[in-house]
Amino acid sequence: MKLKTLLLGAAAAFALAPAAHAERGTDGEVKLTFPQAVSIMNPYLTGGTKDIYAASMVLEPLAGLTPEGVLIPKLVTEIPTKENGGISEDMTSITWKLLPDLKWSDGTAVTADDAVFTWQYCTDPAGGCSQATKYEGVASVEAVDASTIKVTFSGPKANPYTAFVSALAPLLQKKQFEACLGAAAPTCTDANNMPVGTGPFMVTGFTVNDTVQMAANPNYRDPAKPAFATAVIKGGGDAEGSARAVMETGEFDYAWNTQIPPETQESMKAAGKGEFVVAFGTLVERIEMNTTDPDPALPEGERATAKHPHPILSDIKVRTALSKAIDRSILVEVGYGAGGKPTCNVIPGPEGWASDNEGCIAQDMEGAKALLDEAGWKDSDGDGIRDKDGKKLHILYQTTVNPIRQDFQALIKDWWTELGVDVELKAIDPGVFFGGDPGSPDTFQKFYADVEMYANNSESPDPESYLGQYQCKNAPSPETQWQGENINRFCTPEYDALYATLATTTDIAARQEIAKKLNDMVTKDSMIVVPLVHRGTLSAHSNSLGGVQINAWDSEMWNAADWFRVK
Amino acid sequence: MLTFTLRRLLLAIPILLVISLVIFLLVDLAPGSPMAEIPLTVPPDVRQKMIEALGADQPVFVRYLLWLKQFFWIEPMTLYDGWFGTSIVEGQQRILSWQSRSPVFTIIGQRLPQTLIVVGTAYLVGIMIALPIGIYSAYRQYSFFDQVGTLFAMIGFSVPTFFSGTLLIIIFAVWLGWFPTKYDTMLEVTDWQSFLQQVKQMALPVMTLGLANAATISRYMRSSMLDNMTMDYVRTARAKGMDEKVVVLRHVLRNSLIPVVTVIALGIPSIFGGAIITENLFGVNGIGAALIGAIHANDLPMVQTLAFIFAVLIVLFNLIADILYGLLDPRIRYD
Amino acid sequence: MLDASPLPLVRVRDLKMHFPIYAGLLRRRAGEVKAVDGVSFDIMPGETLGLVGESGCGKSTVGRALLRLYTPTAGSVVIDGEDVATLSPEALRKKRPTMQMVFQDPQASLNPRMTLAAIISEPLDEHTDWSGERKLDRVHELMDQVGLNRAFANRYPHEFSGGQRQRIGIARALALNPKFIVCDEPIAALDVSIQAQVVNLLEDLQERLGLTYLFISHDLSMVRHIADRVAVMYLGQIAELSPRDDLYARPLHPYAQALLSAVPEPDPVREATRKRIILTGDVPSPANPPAGCNFCTRCPKVFDRCRVEEPRLAEVEAGRFVACHLYGDTNKTAG
Ligand SMILES: Nc1ncnc2c1ncn2[C@@H]1O[C@H](COP(=O)(O)OP(=O)(O)OP(=O)(O)O)[C@@H](O)[C@H]1O
Ligand SMILES: [Mg+2]
Repeated sequence: MKLKTLLLGAAAAFALAPAAHAERGTDGEVKLTFPQAVSIMNPYLTGGTKDIYAASMVLEPLAGLTPEGVLIPKLVTEIPTKENGGISEDMTSITWKLLPDLKWSDGTAVTADDAVFTWQYCTDPAGGCSQATKYEGVASVEAVDASTIKVTFSGPKANPYTAFVSALAPLLQKKQFEACLGAAAPTCTDANNMPVGTGPFMVTGFTVNDTVQMAANPNYRDPAKPAFATAVIKGGGDAEGSARAVMETGEFDYAWNTQIPPETQESMKAAGKGEFVVAFGTLVERIEMNTTDPDPALPEGERATAKHPHPILSDIKVRTALSKAIDRSILVEVGYGAGGKPTCNVIPGPEGWASDNEGCIAQDMEGAKALLDEAGWKDSDGDGIRDKDGKKLHILYQTTVNPIRQDFQALIKDWWTELGVDVELKAIDPGVFFGGDPGSPDTFQKFYADVEMYANNSESPDPESYLGQYQCKNAPSPETQWQGENINRFCTPEYDALYATLATTTDIAARQEIAKKLNDMVTKDSMIVVPLVHRGTLSAHSNSLGGVQINAWDSEMWNAADWFRVK
Repeated sequence: MLTFTLRRLLLAIPILLVISLVIFLLVDLAPGSPMAEIPLTVPPDVRQKMIEALGADQPVFVRYLLWLKQFFWIEPMTLYDGWFGTSIVEGQQRILSWQSRSPVFTIIGQRLPQTLIVVGTAYLVGIMIALPIGIYSAYRQYSFFDQVGTLFAMIGFSVPTFFSGTLLIIIFAVWLGWFPTKYDTMLEVTDWQSFLQQVKQMALPVMTLGLANAATISRYMRSSMLDNMTMDYVRTARAKGMDEKVVVLRHVLRNSLIPVVTVIALGIPSIFGGAIITENLFGVNGIGAALIGAIHANDLPMVQTLAFIFAVLIVLFNLIADILYGLLDPRIRYD
Repeated sequence: MLDASPLPLVRVRDLKMHFPIYAGLLRRRAGEVKAVDGVSFDIMPGETLGLVGESGCGKSTVGRALLRLYTPTAGSVVIDGEDVATLSPEALRKKRPTMQMVFQDPQASLNPRMTLAAIISEPLDEHTDWSGERKLDRVHELMDQVGLNRAFANRYPHEFSGGQRQRIGIARALALNPKFIVCDEPIAALDVSIQAQVVNLLEDLQERLGLTYLFISHDLSMVRHIADRVAVMYLGQIAELSPRDDLYARPLHPYAQALLSAVPEPDPVREATRKRIILTGDVPSPANPPAGCNFCTRCPKVFDRCRVEEPRLAEVEAGRFVACHLYGDTNKTAG
C-alpha cells in the first residue's frame, strides 16, 4: 500500500515535470552576454542594437514581429486591420485596444495616456529621439479612453504599423518619464537606465556598459511566465569571447552577435555545449557603384556630383562585368560561414518581399570579359590592363577597416584583375567612413571613389522607407551638406514614379510586387548596387536554454518570456 | 621638501590646464562622429537632432569652457552636496557621457573598484614575482636561473596580453574548467564561498597582467642590481667581512631598490588607467574598457575626462616618485 | 731575501687571475683575460710595497685577489700564516679583520645610503659583540685618528669632500685593527693638495699602528715618497721588483726604465739631462699576450730570444728582481 502510493506519487511527479517550467521564477537565472555592453535601457536615446535588445526584455511595444516577419499583438487585444475596423477606410488612422488589466511592473495600470506620452517624448524636437522615424507622419496620438489609442496620420499611410511596433518603439511609462521631455531627456539617468516596463523582466541593477541585472516582473500579464526568476546581461569583450562563454565553457546561456570566423565556429560547435543560430534579416553586404565622377581633378563642389557622370561606370556593361566576375559563394565561405549566404538582392527578405533574382550567384568570368570587350575596353598595349581611348580601366575601391572586408577586397581585386581591371584598394576608419562629417573626404556619402563596399539593411520587414533611399532627391551633394542615403546618385524617373505608387498601395501582395520591382531596378536591371552577401546575425545559445526562437525582424529576445531551462 | 612639493603642485596647475586644452582639441579633432555607431537606417535629420541634443554641435571653445566648469566646479560640488546634503549645484548639468547619457563620474565610480582590484592585484602580484626573480637573476648572472628568468621576461613583454590571455583561457577555462572567463562585476564578497568565487574570477586576468608586469619590473630589478653589484661599496662590504646575505640584501638590494621603487610608483597611474585589452578580454569592464568603448563611440566627454584624469595622475605620481626618490636616497634633497 | 730573518706578513706565490670571456649567442667560453699571470712577491711586516704600472696592467686585480675579493685562478696568498686563496667562506670572513682595503674612488666605495657612523661601525657589528656605546666610542676614536670632526658621525657620504671621504674610507678600513691594508690608488681621485694630506695620514697611521701596506698607484713620485720597495707590473706580470732608491736611481728592466724616464727629477741637474724613453705601439691585450717576453712587442732592446722564451723574475742584484733576458741566467726566482 505504502509502496504503491509512493510509486504513484513519483509517477505523478514525473508526469507533472514538463509542466513544472510553466510556473514563474522556478528556473533560476538566465545569463546572457553581449560583446558590446549595454549603455542605456531607453531605446529612444540610442542607436545601438545591444541597447534596444536589452531593453526589449523590459519595455514592450503594442505589437511585435515574429521570426516570419508577421505582426503579433503584445499589449493589445488584436492587430488592427481594415477588416476588423482598427484601420480607418482612408488609411489615415489606426486604433489599438490595450489588453484589460494590463499593469506596469510597479503595479500601476497601463493606460492610453502612456502611449500618448511616449509619442510626445519621441517627437519633442529637443529630445534627439533616435527612433523619430517610427513616429514620422503621425499627426496625433489620442487616448480615446483609458484603453483605446488612436493614432492619426497626416495623410493616408500605407504601412501604419510603425508607431508603437517592434522593440524600436516600445511604450514608456508616463509617470516615470514625465519630467524627461525634450532637453531633459538625457539627464534622467535613473529612468533611462532602469525604465519601468511591461515586459517579462524588470531592471534591478544597472551598471553602464557592463551589466544589466533583471528579475521576473511580478505583474507580468501571464502569471506562469517568465520561467526564470532572474536574468543578467553581461557585456564587453569580443564576439569570440562571448561565443566561447556559451559554446565552450558554458558560463552563459545566450550570446548575441557572435560573428566569428567560420573555422572558429566549427571548432566551438565541437565542444557540444550549445549551438549557433542565425537571424537573417535584410542586412546585405554590397558594392555600391558611383554614377558620378570622383576625379580629384574636378573642382570641389563638382567632384562626385551629378554634373559629371562617371567616365567608366556609367556604362552598364562595365558594371555588369564587374558583378559577373565575383564568386559570392567563396566570399561567404571565407567571411561568414553559417552567418551568411550569397545574394543578388538589396531586399533579401522576408519571404514574399524578396525578388527571386539569382542570376548573379554563379561566377561568369568569360561572360564578364566578353562584356568588357563589347564595351570597347580592350587591352591594346598588352600590359594586362584594359584601356579605351587611351584611358586605363582603373577603379578605386574603398571600404572600412575590418578584417573580413579586407579579405573581400583582396579576393575581389584578384577577380577584377583577372578581368583586366587595375584595382586600387583603400580602407577607411569606420568612425570616419560612417561619421558623416561633411568636412571629411572619406565619408561613404561623399563617395570620393569609384566603388565602395559596406552593409546596410531595412529596419522593418516592410522595406518602403529603405527603398526610398534610391530616389533622386536623396543623393548627397554639396547642397545637402553631403547628407542623403542615395549614395550612388542613382536617378531615374521610372524608379521615383514606381516608388511613389508604393506609398499609396495598401494591398500587401501588391506592395510586395512593387518592392521586388524596385529591388530589381537598382540591382539586376542597372547593376548600380551589386549585392554580395546576405548577412545574418550569428548568436549562440547553450543546450540547456529552451524556447529560443531567433528573430531578425524584432529583438532576438522577443520571446524571452517563453525561455526556460532544459532539465 | 614641503616647499618643494607645494611649488611643484602649483606649477602643475597651469601645466594641467594646458594639457586639458590639448587633450580636448586632440579628441575633438580626431576623425569620427558620435553618430558613427548609429545604424544607417536612422535618417540624417534625426541624426542632426540627436547631435544637437548632445550639445555636440556647439563650437569647440564653448564646449571646452563648459567642460572646465563641469569638471572643476559642478562635479566637486556635486560630491560636496552628496556628502553634506546641501544643494549648491542641484539641477546643473554634470558631465554626461554621449554614449550612455549617464554622468561620467558615476560611470568612473562604478568602474574604478574592479579596475583597482584586478589591475592593482596584478600589479602587486607582478611586483612580488618580479623582485625575487630580478634579485636572484642578477646575483647569479648568466646562471641557468638567470637564463630562465630572461626567457620569462622576454615572453612577458613580447607576447601581447590578448594572446597570453586567450591562451590562459583555453588552458584554464576551456580545458581544465577551473576558472570562469567572464568577470562578474556584480559579485559581492560576503562569505567564504563568494570570496573563493572572487579569487577564481580574478585568477585569469591577474595572471595575464601579472606576467606582463613582472616581466618589466624584473628586468629593472635585475639591471639595477647588476649596476650596484659591481660598485666599490659592495666590495667594501665584502672586504669588511660581512655575511653574503647582508652584502646582497642590505647593501646591494637597498640601493638597487631606489630606481625600481620609482619605476613602480610611476607605473601606478597605469593601474587607474586599467588594462584596455585584458579588461576587454575578461569582461572586467573597468576604466580601460570604458575608455576604449568611449573612443570607439566617439564619446568625447568620457574620453576627455578620463584622459585628463590620467594626466593628473601621471603628474601626481611623477611628483610622488620624485619625493620617494628623495626619501630613499640621501644624496637627493629638494630644498 | 729568502733568508731574511722576520717572516713576511704577506707571501704571494705564482698568483694568477684569469677572467673568462664569454661570447656568442649561447655565451660559450671563448677565452680568458689574463689580468694577472703568475705574480710572486713578499711583503714584510711594517713595510710598504709600491705597485706601479700602466692602466690595465692588473694592479687592482692583484690587490683584490690578495684580499680574496676575487677568487684567484691559481697560486697562493699567505697572509699572516693562512692561505687566503683557499680559505672557506666562513674562515675567510673571520680572517677579514686582519686585511683591509682602501679604494681608489672614495665616493663609490661608500654605501650612499649609510651614515658615516653606520659605515664605520658595520664591521664591528659583524665581528664583535660590543655594546652600541662601545662601538660609538670606537667610531669616534677612529674619526679622531683620521682627523674627522666627531660631529659628522651622522652625515651621509655625499655630504663630505673628496678628501674627507677618503679619510672615512681609511677609518673604516682601520675599524677592525687590520695588519695589512691594500691601498688601491687611494689618492688618484683627489686634488693634489689633498693627496699629500692623505698620504701623510697613511704614513702616520703606519707608524702608530704598525701597518703593512700594498700601495697601488701610477703616480711614481708618490710611490717614491711612501714605498720601501716597488714592484713594476706590465701586462699581468712583474717586470721588476727593487728597493725604492735603487729602482729610481737605476731601473734595470727596459720597461721600468721607460716608465721612470717619465718621472720628473727633483734634482735640477739630473732633470736637465733626463731623457724620456717613448714607447711605441699599443699594450697588447691581456686576453692574447705575445709569446715569449710579454714586453717584446714594445721593448727598445728586444732581441730574438725575447720572442720565444719567457723570462722569469730573478734576483740579478742583491734585493733586485728583474724578469729580462738582458740580465743573463740566474736560477734564483723571486722571493
Ligand atoms: N671582472 C673582470 N672581468 C674581466 N676582465 C677584468 C675584470 N676586472 C679586470 N679585468 C681586466 O683585467 C685587466 C686588469 O685590470 P685592472 O683593473 O687590474 O687594471 P689596473 O692595473 O688596476 O688598471 P687601472 O690603473 O686603470 O686601475 C684589464 O684588462 C681589465 O679589463
Ligand atoms: Mg685599478
